[in-house]
Amino acid sequence: MMPMRSILAAALLLLAAGCAQFTLVTPERQTVGGVISVAPGTKWNKITTPGVEGKVEVWTLDGPALNTLVFFTGVTDGEPLFTRRAAAASGEEKPPVFRSKMNPVEIQELLEATAARYFRTTIAEGRNLKAEPIAGGRGFRFETRLLGRDEVERAGVFVGTIRNGKLYGAWFQGAKLHYFERYLPEFDRLVSSAELVGEAAR
Amino acid sequence: MSLTRRAFGAGICGCVLAALARRGFAQARPVEPGRTYIAPGYRPPADSDEKGLWSLLDRVERERKTSRFLVRDVELNAYVREIVCRLAKDHCPDIRGYILRTAQFNASMAPNGMMEVWTGLLLRCNDEAQLAAILGHELGHYLRQHTLERWRDARNKSDFGAFLGLGLAVAGLGAVGQLADLALVASMFAFSRDQEREADEIGLDLITQAGYTPVAAAEVWEQFIAEYQAGTAERSRQLLFATHPEPEERLVALREAAAKRDGARGERGRSRYLAKLAGVRARLIADELALRQYGRTEIVFDRLLAQSPDDGQLWHAKGEVYRLRAGDGDAARALKAYETALGTGNAPPETWRSIMLVELGAGARDRAQAAFDAYLKQKPGAPDADALRMLLSQ
Ligand SMILES: [Zn+2]
Repeated sequence: MMPMRSILAAALLLLAAGCAQFTLVTPERQTVGGVISVAPGTKWNKITTPGVEGKVEVWTLDGPALNTLVFFTGVTDGEPLFTRRAAAASGEEKPPVFRSKMNPVEIQELLEATAARYFRTTIAEGRNLKAEPIAGGRGFRFETRLLGRDEVERAGVFVGTIRNGKLYGAWFQGAKLHYFERYLPEFDRLVSSAELVGEAAR
Repeated sequence: MSLTRRAFGAGICGCVLAALARRGFAQARPVEPGRTYIAPGYRPPADSDEKGLWSLLDRVERERKTSRFLVRDVELNAYVREIVCRLAKDHCPDIRGYILRTAQFNASMAPNGMMEVWTGLLLRCNDEAQLAAILGHELGHYLRQHTLERWRDARNKSDFGAFLGLGLAVAGLGAVGQLADLALVASMFAFSRDQEREADEIGLDLITQAGYTPVAAAEVWEQFIAEYQAGTAERSRQLLFATHPEPEERLVALREAAAKRDGARGERGRSRYLAKLAGVRARLIADELALRQYGRTEIVFDRLLAQSPDDGQLWHAKGEVYRLRAGDGDAARALKAYETALGTGNAPPETWRSIMLVELGAGARDRAQAAFDAYLKQKPGAPDADALRMLLSQ
């Protein structure tokens, strides 16, 4: 007999597949949100109707339940990083928000809280925060780990930079072990190819 | 109905807040005097509809046993079991309690004897009597087989499908995070207004008979109302307070009923409660902060601090509420709380880390550096030392 969790997980995947729409991202230079230019080394899928709201663009390799790459395309002061779609209407507390003067430790805390709320857990932590040059300027990187309410353990890595008071970055996360570690080199390649363009380059 | 259910699904409450889910279900039916309870050791007859319901919940329970959110602290589990048995007496062997690491305020009871206690409830109770009041209420649902009653009632109505198709109902909630709340969904659907009232009365009887302070039940509900009013979840608040006068009615009823039972007499079990919780309390506090529900959390921490003014861990946590909220005047509020924490002599080393972050935000680099040095002195192997050094060097 199929355990309940598997049945529900399967139902959820169907649901997710039913709701989300994808467009293929080919391995050539792409502009994300008009502000981040990256050169993926493999085929990705852009989720055109993600279950989140915010200044983000979401890509996936194996489906949103297994891994996602969230680009932050210029989050401004006072905005949340992202929220579950219609979170406010469903009776959630106001989300934590980004502040322009946040330092990398505070960004890490903000992503922890944002991810925790999205995955309906409190078990979410960032670690190994380091400085890392991003798009030709000062940036930072940290790892994430979280245990979602679906009992799936997810690992991730975030890179980001604040330019002119706006947050630009990318967070790749996936179900351990397979759906994260396997693609980490691709994520790193993608990050090293990143340039800020358009409004973000001014 | 589905909107209401969705508001709940946001993870607020099964039983305590079941007022919300009950809208539209409520039917006037007088509570009977001289109630009969389910027999100790009861099992549903084979091939009965009830047996089917139990089988479903047994399956949910098997998953609970392997949940990574299950709190396995042996002493704490034994303690909750002890309270349950003190209340449930002959029914004790039929009840299986599961403590789940979930920061919201809730407990729930399934008809097969599976009881869930969320850590958010444990954090919020002032003492053993308050926890016993909630557990007693949940036992009331069990003893009167409320879920079964509600289920059979629902079957005769058009909303039966929504209830029976538990899987569908859960899928309808439409979010990854809610899958594990199956039993909660089941219990939410189950209870009518009359059932809640009856569970309140039975709970009061059970805690009174067990020697606990009867007024604890009214207190815990009052605390919850106060906290909820401080929240920013407009939609839920509207549902609970604007369209539904019942929380206040319920509070009045609980107060009056406690008064009839010589309300303030009886055992509190406060020091025992705090001692049993000591092993997990830091985690519960961190989980509460992770919710980033600043207004509600401030109320919870202030209430706990009023009772434990020398708790450095709590003072630090209170400071964190302000540091993380980062609104006007919050930096000063945070520093004041950290200072109080340090004054207790039992502040966690992270208090210095927090001071460093606030000072850095204010541009006071020397003070930030001094706080960092104090942090490392108290926690030499701090895993975030390099990250903090990076901040100081930028
Ligand atoms: Zn109840």
